[in-house]
Amino acid sequence: MPEYKGLKIPARATDEEMRKIHIEPVPDEQKVDKAIQYLDEIRKKFRSFVLAMESCVKCGACAENCHTYLGTRDPNNIPTMRAELMRKIYRRYFTPEGRWFGKLVGAQDLDLDTIMQWYSYFYQCNECRRCGHVCPFGIDTCEVTMIGRQILHWLGIVPKLHASVGASMERTGNHTGLTKAAIVDTLEFLSEEIRDEFGVEVTFPVDKEGADILYVPSSADFLLNPYTLMGAGMFFTYIGANWTISSHMTEAGNFGLLFDQQHTMRHLFTRLLHTAQQLGVKKIVWGECGHGWRAWKMYLKGMADLPLRWEITHIHNEVAYYIETNQLKLDPYKIGRPVTLHDPCNYVRACNLAETLRKVIRACVADFREMYPNREDNFCCGGGSAILFDDPEMYQLRIKFSAKKAEQVRATGVGKDGNGILCAPCSICKAQLYPMVEEHELGVEVKGLIDLVGMALVWR
Amino acid sequence: MPSIIVNGVEIEQDEDGFIQNPELWNEEVAKALAKQEGIEELTEEHWKVVNYLRNYYLQFQIAPMIRKLCKETGFSLKKIYELFPSGPAKGACKVAGLPKPTGCV
Repeated sequence: MPEYKGLKIPARATDEEMRKIHIEPVPDEQKVDKAIQYLDEIRKKFRSFVLAMESCVKCGACAENCHTYLGTRDPNNIPTMRAELMRKIYRRYFTPEGRWFGKLVGAQDLDLDTIMQWYSYFYQCNECRRCGHVCPFGIDTCEVTMIGRQILHWLGIVPKLHASVGASMERTGNHTGLTKAAIVDTLEFLSEEIRDEFGVEVTFPVDKEGADILYVPSSADFLLNPYTLMGAGMFFTYIGANWTISSHMTEAGNFGLLFDQQHTMRHLFTRLLHTAQQLGVKKIVWGECGHGWRAWKMYLKGMADLPLRWEITHIHNEVAYYIETNQLKLDPYKIGRPVTLHDPCNYVRACNLAETLRKVIRACVADFREMYPNREDNFCCGGGSAILFDDPEMYQLRIKFSAKKAEQVRATGVGKDGNGILCAPCSICKAQLYPMVEEHELGVEVKGLIDLVGMALVWR
Repeated sequence: MPSIIVNGVEIEQDEDGFIQNPELWNEEVAKALAKQEGIEELTEEHWKVVNYLRNYYLQFQIAPMIRKLCKETGFSLKKIYELFPSGPAKGACKVAGLPKPTGCV
């Protein structure tokens, strides 16, 4: 089990694994100087970061609004205290009072132990931005986590999980390492499954040049979420779309957002644009992935170094449009089970999808029960930013991080008879919640939203 | 780096026990990996899962969709958890010598 002086830390990528994602790990004796240099460069670039460093008055509003603090009661998981791990260093090197009065004003010299504290606590933050949502100053503490992770990445300190995903993105264009043969095989299998279960013919075109729509699913759907892919395939078939999936760019996520918002994130952006151009598509439709949709919707425009010629929408927006225009017949009584909805943080606090999700889910199920709080006030599933570590100690943390979510689901009563559905339309949420609904014995099955669309469709 | 020695060959594993070089896998290695998972003896049912995963991996360089694994072996997910308590990915795939799955899984 990985450990550093009693800190809980996820397993680290080896030096060799860091080199695969183009980082030469900084030797320990140089880490402190390098970290200060990177911090200096970053503070000059990002005003949001300086705002977080300079403006907090420690009112404490964020504390009880953070599910990681509620689950662990570890003071360093209070959002402002987590940011303080960075702030005390910022104060020491970049403010006059910190330089002159040091500890008296809460400034502290940077050392290796503090860097490892960053590693521990910036990877216990789910980057859900609920703290930013409630902060009276509008400080987005998530930005501090992101910058902490960026500096750690440049130093060569990244969880094995994130680094191996980064390497896989470059090698295959997706997070899980799917090959084209595996993509085609899985989609053919799902065509058969759809025929058996729903009695309709659905084919999944792969790398079809001249298609109008490029659908970009989450690669995790190919291993874990069959109904999400089936639902998308059935939806596109139902509306008669000329669509395709690309084997070169089969990833709705972008782990770059989570550990390296520079090179890694940009790599996948470029890959998407090249793919869209090569296939000659007119429109790009995004699959179910929370952090990924935030990355593409909010960051692509600012980071792409090519002109954007394509309309990029989310599949939930597409489905909602077809519902609004009466072009989609859904029978809400087909799924005769109580359903509640978990709002993925990135959808509702970054991408304005809250009402869209409800428009779709209400058309798909008759017994829909809101959990509280919901929409932009919702709590994270506890897996946000891919805190999906599975060594025993980190796994225990995931259980604690999801305790608030479990309480919310339980209060809806959907799992009372053991046949409830917890709709969680995001790949990270699904990966976190599949085991967590068992750990907390919630009596629900986890499904995506497009899963429900596929199940509720009434075929002509 | 942890490792196991099978028939005199040292096989490196990552922190989670997945073997680093899938080419070194053989049935004896599978038995040793199963022991680490707390599975004392690999029954015919275990082998059915392991062999299916192994063959799929050799053909497609990745694990199959879990739904496909269940369908092709005829085992429910619950049954697979009974056979491999750490589950299909972290248990069965490990014994079959596949690399650790990455991404949102």
